[in-house]
Amino acid sequence: MSATVAPPRAEPASSPIAAFDVLLGRPVSMRAMALLRVLVGPVVLLHLRPILDAARHGRIYRDAFYEPYAAWYPELPRGIYVAMLWIAVVAALAMTIGLLTRVATVTVFVIVTYNVFLSTTNLHNNRAYLMIVLAALAVAPCGRELSIDAWSRRVRGRPPLPTSSPGWPLWLLRFEAATVYAASGLSKLLDPDWFSGTVTWHRVVLVRDRVDASLLPSWAVDVLADRSFHTVAAKLIIATELFIAAGLWSRRTRFAAVWVAICFHVAIELSAEVQVFSFLAIAALAIWAVPSTRDRVLVLDVDAVAQRRLGAVVRNLDWLARFRIEWRPGGPVTVVDRDGTVVEGGWAVCRVLSRLPLTAWFALPVGLLPRARDRVMPVGGAA
Amino acid sequence: MWARRVVVVVVVVAQVAFVVRAYHAPHKEFGFQMFPESSTWQAEIVRVTYDGRRIPISDPWDGYQWSQMVRSRGLARASVRHHADAGLDNQLAFLDAALDYVADHTPRDTETRYLEAVVTTWHNTDEPETVVFRSHDRDVAG
Repeated sequence: MSATVAPPRAEPASSPIAAFDVLLGRPVSMRAMALLRVLVGPVVLLHLRPILDAARHGRIYRDAFYEPYAAWYPELPRGIYVAMLWIAVVAALAMTIGLLTRVATVTVFVIVTYNVFLSTTNLHNNRAYLMIVLAALAVAPCGRELSIDAWSRRVRGRPPLPTSSPGWPLWLLRFEAATVYAASGLSKLLDPDWFSGTVTWHRVVLVRDRVDASLLPSWAVDVLADRSFHTVAAKLIIATELFIAAGLWSRRTRFAAVWVAICFHVAIELSAEVQVFSFLAIAALAIWAVPSTRDRVLVLDVDAVAQRRLGAVVRNLDWLARFRIEWRPGGPVTVVDRDGTVVEGGWAVCRVLSRLPLTAWFALPVGLLPRARDRVMPVGGAA
Repeated sequence: MWARRVVVVVVVVAQVAFVVRAYHAPHKEFGFQMFPESSTWQAEIVRVTYDGRRIPISDPWDGYQWSQMVRSRGLARASVRHHADAGLDNQLAFLDAALDYVADHTPRDTETRYLEAVVTTWHNTDEPETVVFRSHDRDVAG
């Protein structure tokens, strides 16, 4: 007897569902997720530290007021619960260095999520975002680069695993990241007290003694306590959040949105207690890098000491694998961008630094200068 | 392919639902409403005994201390005016739940019928309002 298997019914190529499937399944580089994985491990440790400190002093969540989400939610014996927290520490370290990456990442996600959902008192916005990021890392193959797993395969002579994968975890995480800013900005926009500046002004009034005792100069304190300042500042804050939420999606505005987001999170970290939110949110900005690697060429003079140093800097700091370095004798530093445009000399150095995660914030504004744009030319153009 | 579609759609729909829900739910899980209010609150919490006495919980009783039993979410020193950092609704929901928690976790106490909190709230710069929360009645006879 023979049987034929009907092929899965495919959506017509032009249908929205087919386009949706193509988007979700399109292989893209997971390099940004790998970098995020490396950065989020320490964030998890930071998140766990106060919980472990309390556990070392014999206190766990249920020794004081807590409120389970559901009566059926399982609670572990004390010793096993504390051991589980330490397993999360080990797994977070393994996640960062990329050792048994998938197992480590799933373990961290499961334990952090289980722990947060033990009580309504545990759930803060920063922890919700942390769970979301960990969920995305748990489902994405983010251990094939920047990991001991990848190094181990190389050492054993095994072929590397593909570093591209269907993009849907990345797209979902981008949606969630943008939602954090959009939801926050929208809630303020819709609240008349927030929009008018009443909330921020009143907050300053309530902590005026602390503001007076801070390192701020007296004129800055006076400005902060001035209600009319908050009338403008509140709208600026709301506009900033909404700009970040929308600006991250377009390549034209993405660099500006990332730059503003970093300023925004640094300001929040300096002015409020937000647990791990600032570190997590800044780390998560990595996901907005275009998910392709080595698609820019950095051409350097093999005989020039300064250019060799630049090459070393790029090799060490190009965590998102933006550049392929080529050596030639003579000539200025040259960058050939992914669209074929060529930049040379000091502007090329700026372009390079603006694409490295550690230096991007400092170099990006230089790229906005009119002269920087003038120096960009089609491939083959003269300097 | 179907599984991928379903996961993505479910996550997106759920996230949008959480954001909408946060506008009316006291606990705004995944609603991402940051620094929502400058509101403050302060509560006088007492134990009301079966014989009608009203004893402040600032006095330890039967080996229990409120500040040791309720440490999180700014509830340890309820008599001091505090910022409701996740909004008044959220803060009051935690206080209400904390009253029930203490009522349920003080087995050596055989005189308290219920706990009561008289809460003064200041929603942003609005005039103060007073609300009263009570724990459920304790069944000390078992």
